[in-house]
Amino acid sequence: MKTIASAVLGMLVAGPALAADPGVTDTTIKIGDVNIMTGPAAFVGRGFSVGSKVAAEEVNAAGGINGRKIVVITEDDGYVPARSFQALTKLLEVDQIFALNGTSGTANVLAMMPLITEHKLPTVVSQAPAPVVYNPVRPTVFTFGATYENAFYAQLKYIHQKMAKPDAVYGLVRQDDDFGKDIEVGFDRAVKDFNLKAPVRIRFKKGTTNFSAEVAQMKQAGVTVLANGGIFAGAANILSEARKLDMPLIPAEVWSEGIPASAALLAPAGYDYLVGDYVSLSGPANEKFRELAKKYVSEDELKNISRYTYASYIGMKALIEAMRQCGKDLTRACTVEKLRTLKGLDTGGLSAPVDFTNEKQLSGTAVAVYQYDIKSATFKPLTGFEQY
Amino acid sequence: MRTGHLKTSPGQLVALSDSPAVWAWVGVLAVGLILLPYLVGNYMLTLVVSAMAAVIGAVALNMLTGQTGLISLGQSGFLAVGAYANAILLSDYGLPVWLTLPGAGLTATAISLIVGVPSLRLKGLYLAITTLAFSFIISHIILYSEELTHGPNGIFVKGARLFGYDVQRGWPLYYLALALTAGTILAALNLTRTRIGRAWIAIRDHDIAARAMGIDLVRYKLLAFAVSSFFVGIAGALLSLQLRFVNVDVFGLILSIEALAMIILGGMGSVAGAVLGAIFLSFLPEVLRIGFALVTDPNSTFYTNYVYEIRGIAYGLVIVVFLRFKPDGLVGMWRDARKYWSNWPLAY
Repeated sequence: MKTIASAVLGMLVAGPALAADPGVTDTTIKIGDVNIMTGPAAFVGRGFSVGSKVAAEEVNAAGGINGRKIVVITEDDGYVPARSFQALTKLLEVDQIFALNGTSGTANVLAMMPLITEHKLPTVVSQAPAPVVYNPVRPTVFTFGATYENAFYAQLKYIHQKMAKPDAVYGLVRQDDDFGKDIEVGFDRAVKDFNLKAPVRIRFKKGTTNFSAEVAQMKQAGVTVLANGGIFAGAANILSEARKLDMPLIPAEVWSEGIPASAALLAPAGYDYLVGDYVSLSGPANEKFRELAKKYVSEDELKNISRYTYASYIGMKALIEAMRQCGKDLTRACTVEKLRTLKGLDTGGLSAPVDFTNEKQLSGTAVAVYQYDIKSATFKPLTGFEQY
Repeated sequence: MRTGHLKTSPGQLVALSDSPAVWAWVGVLAVGLILLPYLVGNYMLTLVVSAMAAVIGAVALNMLTGQTGLISLGQSGFLAVGAYANAILLSDYGLPVWLTLPGAGLTATAISLIVGVPSLRLKGLYLAITTLAFSFIISHIILYSEELTHGPNGIFVKGARLFGYDVQRGWPLYYLALALTAGTILAALNLTRTRIGRAWIAIRDHDIAARAMGIDLVRYKLLAFAVSSFFVGIAGALLSLQLRFVNVDVFGLILSIEALAMIILGGMGSVAGAVLGAIFLSFLPEVLRIGFALVTDPNSTFYTNYVYEIRGIAYGLVIVVFLRFKPDGLVGMWRDARKYWSNWPLAY
């Protein structure tokens, strides 16, 4: 009786044990993606998932990583942080993934961070490379991407030096969250460095759709260069309002406006807007990638290719290279160590070479500036990848 | 034949149940829930804890909307208040979780009184819009009170220990959630059978008649807001313990809509309905996921491109079909089934 009681008591105080280094068999390696596959921002996640798939199929076609094929498992979070947490729990507990490539938005990756840390999960964040992701540095998290601060600073620097008139008036409209705050830091830095005339900074609540009052304020202040912190429909509505008021604007945009779906929304306003990005938006590298993608994905999936595809492809390439360097004895600890020493990984011109050998474990900080040409519906590179 | 309607003493009228069979089933359920961590994996436990947080929230909303007739779209705001209060007290002030949990509930209660006062003169859609505005105000306050709330960066919730166990993961979190859920359900069931509960129902059914009968509308409406918000605050705190991270994006308007959907789907005005609705909607996405995984090839491009959207449509469709064909909700279906078997073979 005592033995049974002890066994029951033991059951009650014992927690479930975790397996070490799951996701690796003799023939496969499971990589997880938590993406926005549903909802208004689904095109972001769909583009992202194509990048993971292409990188995985490319390496699988070449024999895999030391004989192991990559299996990508995608979970949808609908851009809801609580669902990101559940999705990653499922990937860890049910699918037993080895590493994580897709990490959704900023709040979403932060919601997943405790699990990532707890499971020592090798993770590359390339979709929402916000400073809160790598400040403080988490040992197993590697970030690929520039800050919005640098992306806007790069654009404003280019505009100031090459495009704007000397008496140009600069204005900022941005969301009242961490993302908007980051844009304002870049804006302020450019204003200070180049002594710009910037009388107006406007905040708006995430989800705002009517910007008539904000744009009227811009018009009143005589703004001719606009740092537009709206994204997707928000950015389009801001430019549309500016066009209604016939404002002669040079708009600087968030890199989310560098994807075909966003460009189609912004085009009717008729502004050849600028975008600063840490991945290439046009050129031989992009054409080469599309040819590669044709081998591995369907026609429907090809339509989803965007800047997010390149970001996820690069993130997966970094993971693949680190796992390859580990050889047959593949562990999470080894993968993290190899990611930490990863330097000069060539991305085929899709970005500056990947280099995580810094204390922030941060790469891809170099930004290129592009301008959208409405007539040809293409992005024209104005600068190469540069550090700001 | 037991109909459940014949009562022969006042004691039977106020008892939670006078049926030994019901108590036996409750016992079986309790044993099953206690043993659950040893029967299922961590992922299922995570889903169950999320469902329990939803149950607490739905039961709390049912007190306000289902029982008192005050429509609220401010649940996400109260959830955020509870979650943030818990996170701040735990992570920034280092208070023990046995203090932060009631603290989260009480903070939400205090805030609810501010919203409750305008509700005294408002009903229906006007009240719904007022409470909706409140949740927007709350998210603004969170964003702009950076010194207290860390603004848009959010807060990592850590340091919640109870009896030496980390109650932010695994089975300790599950048992904490179970205790909170059981406590909430019991409190709701008991409140319903008191003077307070009867006053709420009277206000819902006809507030002028209720006032004529001597019910103090101001007092009982405010009480409904306060009690409901206390439990929603607890649900928010539980959510913050599970996620281990809070920021405003976690508490979108969709949570308020889902909470309303839960009590409508489960059966408005019934505690059992709120519980069933919350469980149903919490597990529906997972059931659909498993269903789709069984009937589709995960390697197909169809799966990659459309399965998530189809799943979302199916989720909405199930709710619409239920509301159209079963307006009494899940609890109505349960009552019909029970009545059928009670009256069998004379059922029609």
